[in-house]
Amino acid sequence: MSLRNKPYLWFILPGFILYSLFVIYPIFSAAQLSLFHSNGFGDKAFVGLDNYVELFSNPELKHQFLNALKHNLFLVVLNVGLLIPIQLYFAYIIYTKVKGYRFFQTMIFAPQFITTSVIVFLASLIFDQNIGIFNNLLSEIGLGEYTRNWLGVPGYEMITLFVINAWTGVGFSMIYFVAAMKMLSDEVMEASYLDGAGYWRRFFSVIIPQIRSSIVNIAVISYIASMTLFDFSYLLGGVSGGIDNKMDVMTLFFYRITFGTNGAMGGTVSSNSVGMGTTIACVMFAIIFIVALIQLRLSYRKEEQ
Amino acid sequence: MYISKLILWLFSCFTLFILGYLVWNSFRTKRDVLSNTLGWPKSFTFDGYVDIFRDEHFGIHIWNSVVVLVVTIFIIVALASMVAYGLGRYKFKFKQGVLLYFLVGLMFPVQLGIVPIFLIIKNMGLINSLWSVILILSAGISMPVLLLSNFFAGLPNALAESARLDGAGEWKTFYRIMFPLASPVIVSLCIILSVSVWNQFFVPLVMLQNETVKTIPLAIMKYTSNILMSMDYALVSSVLATIPILILFFIFSERVISGVASGSIKE
Repeated sequence: MSLRNKPYLWFILPGFILYSLFVIYPIFSAAQLSLFHSNGFGDKAFVGLDNYVELFSNPELKHQFLNALKHNLFLVVLNVGLLIPIQLYFAYIIYTKVKGYRFFQTMIFAPQFITTSVIVFLASLIFDQNIGIFNNLLSEIGLGEYTRNWLGVPGYEMITLFVINAWTGVGFSMIYFVAAMKMLSDEVMEASYLDGAGYWRRFFSVIIPQIRSSIVNIAVISYIASMTLFDFSYLLGGVSGGIDNKMDVMTLFFYRITFGTNGAMGGTVSSNSVGMGTTIACVMFAIIFIVALIQLRLSYRKEEQ
Repeated sequence: MYISKLILWLFSCFTLFILGYLVWNSFRTKRDVLSNTLGWPKSFTFDGYVDIFRDEHFGIHIWNSVVVLVVTIFIIVALASMVAYGLGRYKFKFKQGVLLYFLVGLMFPVQLGIVPIFLIIKNMGLINSLWSVILILSAGISMPVLLLSNFFAGLPNALAESARLDGAGEWKTFYRIMFPLASPVIVSLCIILSVSVWNQFFVPLVMLQNETVKTIPLAIMKYTSNILMSMDYALVSSVLATIPILILFFIFSERVISGVASGSIKE
């Protein structure tokens, strides 16, 4: 094989090596490690599918896993079912260039640039039990009996998490939708305008059907993001995911099993941390991959028709 | 229609208000913020800003974040544009397969492979080194490769031919002619990548344990996790991490937003 005649190899090789080492190899390695009883340090013993059996039969593990999965699915439903319509709605208002639309899109996009630990801190500046301005305002206006720790109202932990996540993330897909709307031909818009279609009528009957593939793309991305959310759960609820794991998510559960409860290097790590950790990662991957594949498949089939 | 506008106004003003409140509080003393939350401050002070650099060495964390950002973006742009050029410009067997191979990464969040990655990094002896984060994040070239290979594939072949006739080699054609042509796409890429690298939380959390190598998001978490103890540092570090970036964004917002839009539209 002469490399002289294959210049593309020299262009592709460096990226190929790094990408293979840190993106592709870990997937296979994780699948393989999940078949062993191991903590990554000492000996490892081949146990076949025992880790998978244990994950779904050990009551404590099973309970924590299903609890975390339930929270992830809750986020998927809210992000896809509620946040995407809001993003489309904002995008349409900006697309129609209402007065001040540049200001709006800048301000709505701005939280993208705030790092997650600051966002959680901002949330506590407002909604914290003692120092939050929301409670202080309530007491000022005589509603003192309603003050509470708004970041952890029992039963509403995941909603809090969603709201914080939504405030941060609303801008990105919104910009994507605005861009998709701008790609539409002006003629169709003008024709529908001349036909007497109203402002909202044009939104629902002209715009939405035409950007359907963009919406499906965002839905898939949003699904993957919701299933792998980590930062907000960790920052709001710590490594245990809040009181009674009320804010637990799959990635956090996985992190806890793999790296222990006291950080990545020390603390309480079980003798099977790596084996069980990779098992959870593989189950998570299967759930994410299958659903994402079905979503994409359905969308492309619709497009072909 | 008026309701829609009102909603957007409220949303935008809410964001402005929070940021303003954050900056405002960063000039108050810790005791004042904690005990007199809504009241008019008794005094203003820059002590928080002085202390965080003098006593807490916050400059180290800023430096760490900047190093990770600059080196990572440099590696991603270099590797991804080379891969994309190889895939977009040349015709060869299994080309579609190789492209697909690079796109698989879009489906795999880094969290899922973090255990094997952790073991590789440990074997390389790079735990607690900024290189761990740089290497892991630099490997995420799927999206850049997709964007850039579409771009290079769309360039006319005559361009490369004329360069060759002028005596330029393959490599020279790439970095003298093709790479500069791609600069609008690369600028968009840099913007999108910078946001995700700068705010990256998970990978540094796993890889960086020593105080001296922590990036800004981790350092801030140390202060915000116990706000009664270190309210002043939490406020000041949040301002330092947020406001300069946002000012840059406000100045270049048109450019940034159109960059993000053009980056995502080609997916």
